[in-house]
Amino acid sequence: MKKILLTILTVFALSTQAFDFLPSSYNWNSGSSGDAFAATLSAAEADYASALAASMAWRDTGAMIKEAKKLHKSGKVDAATALVKKAHTQAENALAQAAVAGSAGPLF
Amino acid sequence: MKKLLTVVVGLGLVIGTASAGTDVGADIKAFQSHFKKQNPSVDFADYTIGVYALDEGSREQFEEILDGIPPYEEAVERGGEEFEKFGLGKCAALKDPAAARLAHPYYDDAAGTVVTLEGTIRKCYTEQTGKKMGTMKGKIARISSWISDQAAGEKINVKVESDGAKAAYERGKATFYAKRGQFNMSCADCHVYNSGKKARADILSPALGHTSHVPMYRAKWGGIGTLHRRYGGCYKNMRAKPLMAQSSEYRDMELFHQAMSNGIEISADRYRK
Repeated sequence: MKKILLTILTVFALSTQAFDFLPSSYNWNSGSSGDAFAATLSAAEADYASALAASMAWRDTGAMIKEAKKLHKSGKVDAATALVKKAHTQAENALAQAAVAGSAGPLF
Repeated sequence: MKKLLTVVVGLGLVIGTASAGTDVGADIKAFQSHFKKQNPSVDFADYTIGVYALDEGSREQFEEILDGIPPYEEAVERGGEEFEKFGLGKCAALKDPAAARLAHPYYDDAAGTVVTLEGTIRKCYTEQTGKKMGTMKGKIARISSWISDQAAGEKINVKVESDGAKAAYERGKATFYAKRGQFNMSCADCHVYNSGKKARADILSPALGHTSHVPMYRAKWGGIGTLHRRYGGCYKNMRAKPLMAQSSEYRDMELFHQAMSNGIEISADRYRK
């Protein structure tokens, strides 16, 4: 019984210490959101680079990626993720335009 | 990377195949016939004044501006002085300024690229002064305007003959007609299919005759700018990222764009709203 009590107390003490490492404002969901941001950012940057190389990039995509990085740095993870998703969609749409641009011609 | 490769290979295949069947004469005929059908009361020669050929009220304002001292006159005169000052007449390609305007743009088979008048001016300026020149406004626009003035009254006559020229022409044509940017629009959407209609308060100018008065003075700019500066502005309006002035894409598009106005007189009346 004494052993069980000691184990419980030790685990409790250690876990309290672990909580103390984190600030009270710690966002327990940021781990997965951060991963989502990093993955979408990477995809957005790659597709934007491809759109630039095809001379078909959209006007604001670069600025959106830059702004998303700034938001993420300042801890606004949800807003950053939403913006980088929009930038990625823009880059994907630009590549879709590029795929058919070479065959463009008059309608008359 | 895979996406980029697909796009680049796709573009190459499509344009490479298309240039084999290029018929510039037929393209010009179809393009000019479109405008004849769209605006049956406008004389072909009147397209030299662009949008002012389509709207009587705007034309009156345009003529009033020309009746006074046009806002670009001083800048064009300065361009002539700069042509002399920098010794640009010493370059063979610019020795006869009127002929130089008529000869550009052209495809240089040896270099494998389209050469624009501004490209030749910049090259010559560097040869004569050892310095670089801009691409959109200032000296380049003033000098190019003065050179173009020397050919006023002559007709645009762009030649697209070699296989290389035809491939560049096809690339330029595709750029002109391709939809781009957030608005998913092409140059042709405004300046071919909807020219004469209004976009907000402005009447959309016809692409036929666009290159008769370049570089142009724009009230919006408060100065003279090159054709490639205008291309950049149009790209921004479509919410597409503008390309560099004098980039190969814009030079190819200029070859196509100027060829479509073959037969239109070059004009010294370079005022536009």
